[in-house]
Amino acid sequence: MKRYYLAVPLLFLATLARAETPQQILALYQQQAGGASVARGEKFFFAKVPQASGEMASCTSCHTDNPKAIGKTRAHKPIDPLAPVANRERLTDPAKVEKWFKRNCKDVLARECTAQEKADFLAFLISVK
Amino acid sequence: MGLTFKNLGLLVATLFASAFWLGYSWGDSGQPSFPPVTHQATAAECAACHMAYPAGLLPARSWQRMMATLDRHFGEDASLSPEETAAITRYLVGNAADSATANERMRRIASGIAFNAAPLRITETPYFGYLHDEVPASVWKRAKIGSRANCIACHTRAETGSFAEREIKIPKD
Repeated sequence: MKRYYLAVPLLFLATLARAETPQQILALYQQQAGGASVARGEKFFFAKVPQASGEMASCTSCHTDNPKAIGKTRAHKPIDPLAPVANRERLTDPAKVEKWFKRNCKDVLARECTAQEKADFLAFLISVK
Repeated sequence: MGLTFKNLGLLVATLFASAFWLGYSWGDSGQPSFPPVTHQATAAECAACHMAYPAGLLPARSWQRMMATLDRHFGEDASLSPEETAAITRYLVGNAADSATANERMRRIASGIAFNAAPLRITETPYFGYLHDEVPASVWKRAKIGSRANCIACHTRAETGSFAEREIKIPKD
């Protein structure tokens, strides 16, 4: 019986390593959050958040307000589109998705994002046609 | 001492040697002034947000300070795993402006910086200032340039490590 306790995280890890479509990565976050909402994800993307500097920032500050458009970093380097429909490489590497959630959530929200926020946001990006 | 063939020969030899040395140090020799990043992780991680600036543009102490503060990298979180951080630091320090393999230009960057300073912005090094002092503030603000961090906007071959004057093309807008 004890062995099953090990099997659950192992199964999760195995899925994580294999996941390679946006839908699979979304499913991982959905499992943790218990669901996902496109509407909440869209609101999250556009939400303006006051910064310590007094200015407002949001995902759209760098990614533009169109997930299919090319964005721009503060150093003026182009950012490939966020929506998988416009960028086939987007949301295909779970480690990369986690890395950029961690960095960008801290930049805009000054905290890490919750599994719910991540699930909602991915659901929104995938819904973009 | 009259003008003998020996003296003339020496003069000509000196002139040729100087011309060769100047040509070399001015970057007209075909060699990149600042060899581009060859370390794969360094190139991939740095170039995610900006040009992968050649390691030879800053001294080792600047790179060490930079890599120790990646979670607050010019106002953004650019943190990496401890393993990636260590590997990238090793590459940058090993090829820094004051490293053993540094070329003439890199050594000039390094020698321009006060020994007790470790600038994080390449654009704040005296060498950068000296070479860009004739660029008016209005030019830096042009939409196609936008930031001093955007080398490639004017230095058309910056990504190959070449910053030669004849390759500069300043956007009009």
